[in-house]
Amino acid sequence: MDILQIIIFTIIKILIIVTIILLSVSYLVYFERKISAWAQNRIGPNRVGWAGALQPFADVLKLLLKEDIVPEVANKPIHTLAPVIALFVAFTTYAVIPFGPNINIFGFSVPLVVADVNIGILYILALTSLGVYAITLAGWSSGSKYSLLGGIRSSAQMISYEISMGFSVGGVLLLAQSLRPVDIVQAQSGWMWNAILQPIGFITFLVSAFAETNRLPFDLPEAEPELVGGFHTEYSSMKFAAFFLAEYANMFIASALIVTLYLGGWQFPYLDHFGLSAGWFAAISVAAFAVKVAALLFFFIWVRWSIPRFRYDQLMSLGWKVMFPLSLINIVWVAVLIMVFKI
Amino acid sequence: MALKRREKDLTFLEKIYIPEIVKGLSLTLKNMFKPKFTMQYPEEKFIPPASYRGRPVLVMEENGVERCVACGLCSRVCPPLAIEVQAAETENEKERYPVKFEINMLRCIFCGLCEEVCPEEAIVMSKDYELAFTNRKDALYGKDKLLTPVMQLQDRIDFLRNYK
Amino acid sequence: MPKFVLDGKEIEFEQGQTIIQAAKKNGITIPHFCWHESLSVSGNCRVCLVEIEKMPKLSIACATLAADGMVVYSASDKALSARNAVMEFELINHPLDCPICDEAGECKLQDYAYSHGAGESRFNEEKTHKDKRVPLGPLVMFDGDRCISCSRCIRFCDEIAKEPQLTFVKRGDRVTIVTYPGKQLDNPYSMNVTDICPVGALTSRDFRFKARVWELSKTKSVCNGCSRGCNINLEVRNNKVLRLTPRQNDEVNSFWMCDHGRVNTYKFINDENRVDGPYLRRGGTLVRSGWDEAFAAASSELKSYSKNEIAFIGSPYATCEDNYALTKFASSIIGTKHIDFMRHVDQTFGDNLLRKDDITPNSLGAEIVGVVPGKGGLNLEGIIKGIKDGNIKALYLIEDDLVEGNHELQEVFAKLDLFITHSTNFNKTTELADFVFPASTYAEKNGTIVNFEGRLQRLRPAVATFDVDRALEGMSLSRWDKFGTKFDSWAEGNKHDVRSTWRIIVGLSGAMGHKLKYGVAEEVFWDIAKNVSSFSGLDYGKVGELGAKLKLELNTKTVTA
Repeated sequence: MDILQIIIFTIIKILIIVTIILLSVSYLVYFERKISAWAQNRIGPNRVGWAGALQPFADVLKLLLKEDIVPEVANKPIHTLAPVIALFVAFTTYAVIPFGPNINIFGFSVPLVVADVNIGILYILALTSLGVYAITLAGWSSGSKYSLLGGIRSSAQMISYEISMGFSVGGVLLLAQSLRPVDIVQAQSGWMWNAILQPIGFITFLVSAFAETNRLPFDLPEAEPELVGGFHTEYSSMKFAAFFLAEYANMFIASALIVTLYLGGWQFPYLDHFGLSAGWFAAISVAAFAVKVAALLFFFIWVRWSIPRFRYDQLMSLGWKVMFPLSLINIVWVAVLIMVFKI
Repeated sequence: MALKRREKDLTFLEKIYIPEIVKGLSLTLKNMFKPKFTMQYPEEKFIPPASYRGRPVLVMEENGVERCVACGLCSRVCPPLAIEVQAAETENEKERYPVKFEINMLRCIFCGLCEEVCPEEAIVMSKDYELAFTNRKDALYGKDKLLTPVMQLQDRIDFLRNYK
Repeated sequence: MPKFVLDGKEIEFEQGQTIIQAAKKNGITIPHFCWHESLSVSGNCRVCLVEIEKMPKLSIACATLAADGMVVYSASDKALSARNAVMEFELINHPLDCPICDEAGECKLQDYAYSHGAGESRFNEEKTHKDKRVPLGPLVMFDGDRCISCSRCIRFCDEIAKEPQLTFVKRGDRVTIVTYPGKQLDNPYSMNVTDICPVGALTSRDFRFKARVWELSKTKSVCNGCSRGCNINLEVRNNKVLRLTPRQNDEVNSFWMCDHGRVNTYKFINDENRVDGPYLRRGGTLVRSGWDEAFAAASSELKSYSKNEIAFIGSPYATCEDNYALTKFASSIIGTKHIDFMRHVDQTFGDNLLRKDDITPNSLGAEIVGVVPGKGGLNLEGIIKGIKDGNIKALYLIEDDLVEGNHELQEVFAKLDLFITHSTNFNKTTELADFVFPASTYAEKNGTIVNFEGRLQRLRPAVATFDVDRALEGMSLSRWDKFGTKFDSWAEGNKHDVRSTWRIIVGLSGAMGHKLKYGVAEEVFWDIAKNVSSFSGLDYGKVGELGAKLKLELNTKTVTA
């Protein structure tokens, strides 16, 4: 494969993925509304299209037509930049997440990942940390006390939880002996899923992911009762939509990352023993990945409509006094796995 | 400063959150499969019971005369001052009647105190809940909109006689 | 001083006082219907029964003279059960038509039924029926069913109005009140019976069904019907004066006021023909203009005449503040000495009770604050003659309709080159005027007036205008005033763009290039107190609710009648 072909394939993959993310994110909003309705014995959106299937488009249209209001005292360039950063971070993270095995198209072996980078995990951690900037800058540039408090909360929260997140990932890296997402997926063949091997790490990572994506029960940066809307109090129209989109895209990324790191990625256990053709193998793998991600997304939404928000001090003490030690214990446990059980 | 301790401390299981979280999650999951209560409003209409407090209306007797004698008690008791009454004299046996009776539906809070205080059973809460206006003027309901034949209000009047 | 004990409290009294009088003096009210402070004792309602030690039976407090060392219980079990029994008895034939009755809210029977009544009636029989809606006179309506036969109205006509017109007829439960054959209740004080009637049997035909009494805000003011200056309450709803009621002031009017004052002195405030905003004459017709525009035009007109060509006429209807501001404007800004005012005397109006022949409220006040010709200045006759002769070319008149019923003046004023007037309503005088400034009525401004015997009394605003805000000026507020918004049709009523005369003069002198430093009416009053000896040492606080007697100088001409 020469460089031109690589570029063409990469661009095609990027286009496919961006389309998929955008579509699934909008339907994620739809399902969030549906699931919340079901949990509350309601029906949910059902007016636009069949069973409300066109609701996401109606929502987007509505947001597009809204007036874009920027506060008088806002720092306008940064106020505009913040939602762009949020979206940028959300989309670029997806570049390194593998969503299927290598496939053969027109005689080329194409890996089903946009960029098969050998430091992919570092890349993801780096980019998700960048996401804090979006929220902090949004909060600061709005020139509103609520926004500022939301931004400050979010930076404190994200920094705290990034530590336990990083340590949890450490366990995965130790087992896979690689920073490459594709390698990590391959290391979990069969039932050797990291979620089973290191359950503590899985839980700490899962909880940290909730905190990193600002989802309930950790959505303190936008806690409505106290902060009106937190960092996006002063946002409206498409800028608000960008934050909204980024939040759900982040959820999507977080789910995909959890699947990659802990739930065997695109692998269907023992699929290679069934003797399927390469095409079927690839299709089932991609489907397995999609199902796993969908299940996690459902879990994200389900948790949101079940568990109330933490108090801020509870959030911090959970992060530092519970999650951080637990992730350290997980590292020790992984070490034991490697040294004693020789995995 | 002495810290205030809660009477019953959390047990270990409660402290590690996870079982409690699972309990909470299972509750919402169960609810997802329960029957829904949503009413498809414009197609399906809610028919309220007699105890429902909808838009307040004036009772019109069968001979087309209102029961109201414009005593002004509803106006006095109305917490948001929604009711304006102007009395005048008539030749009828009840010598006083409301020449103007106006309820500002933007102010009305449907508390039903007017109905409770009315000595003549002349103002009652109807079952009408479909109230929409596009300007302040439309929200002023005068006698033309308020007078309702007693036949249509019998349900509520019976309820009041039994329970008020 | 002799003392007796009432409900464990020692009470001093003067020899000859009844128990109820002594108690009232000491701030204790024993329930009563038929007893009234300034009427004779009738003792027929029996609701004031009290228990007195060593007396075998209960006694009525209104007719029992207090004696030294007496021990009285007004709320003992025995007294209370007797009072409850009397209440039940009163209510046997009293209809349950409070929702219709105008008295509701200020009804003694309602109040006592609430505090002493059983809450329900044991009387299952048909109540008696008497005549309802009987016009006893042009202003009073009688409802026989509601009457509790206390005889207050009969005693009022006999003793106060001194014109016996009412009497009881029939007996027992059929007793009712009628006018004597061939007579009707038309004495000039007839409407006071609606005030003293403890129930809704006698109601005012003027106020009938206009408003519930609890909807009215009450403002302490003074009647402007004649120079007596009876103390009144202005009762206002939705920024409209709906009725006047007398306010007790033993120095002036006791409990009473006359029907003329009650019925005829407030209607012009709500009238359709109020002057609303300044008007000036353009091409023969009066056109509405802005304030600044009117001030500028009037001042440039005034400046084109020499000071001896301009004359001023004050008003016995305007307050002392208004008249004083006018004299100040005339003397120090225009510099003329031609200033006077016209007295309005009606020889047929006065009587021995309250009404005075001088039918203006403030003629003495106008005179005291200086609306009299200066040395060498022309008086009223001189001014009129001057206009006829053409020596006086401009006239400045405040708040007085001089032309009404006076053909001579109509012709005289038509000769004027410049005629500026302040007026509350459009009338025959404004038809001739070149400038009409809208003046506040007595119900719309702060101010003071002086009655015929030199008592200075306060007017307080009860009706809000563009110039006077109800809440900001601390005017009395009803519940509806308090919580209304500009979107409520019942809150602000019809507000007029009018100003007090002194405010108009301040504005006009500003346009003339002279500043009168008056911000509120009281500042004008301070100036009067500084410069007029009779007023010295007074301020609004000292005038108070009941007025203050002026130190009149001996050389002041006493006002006729």
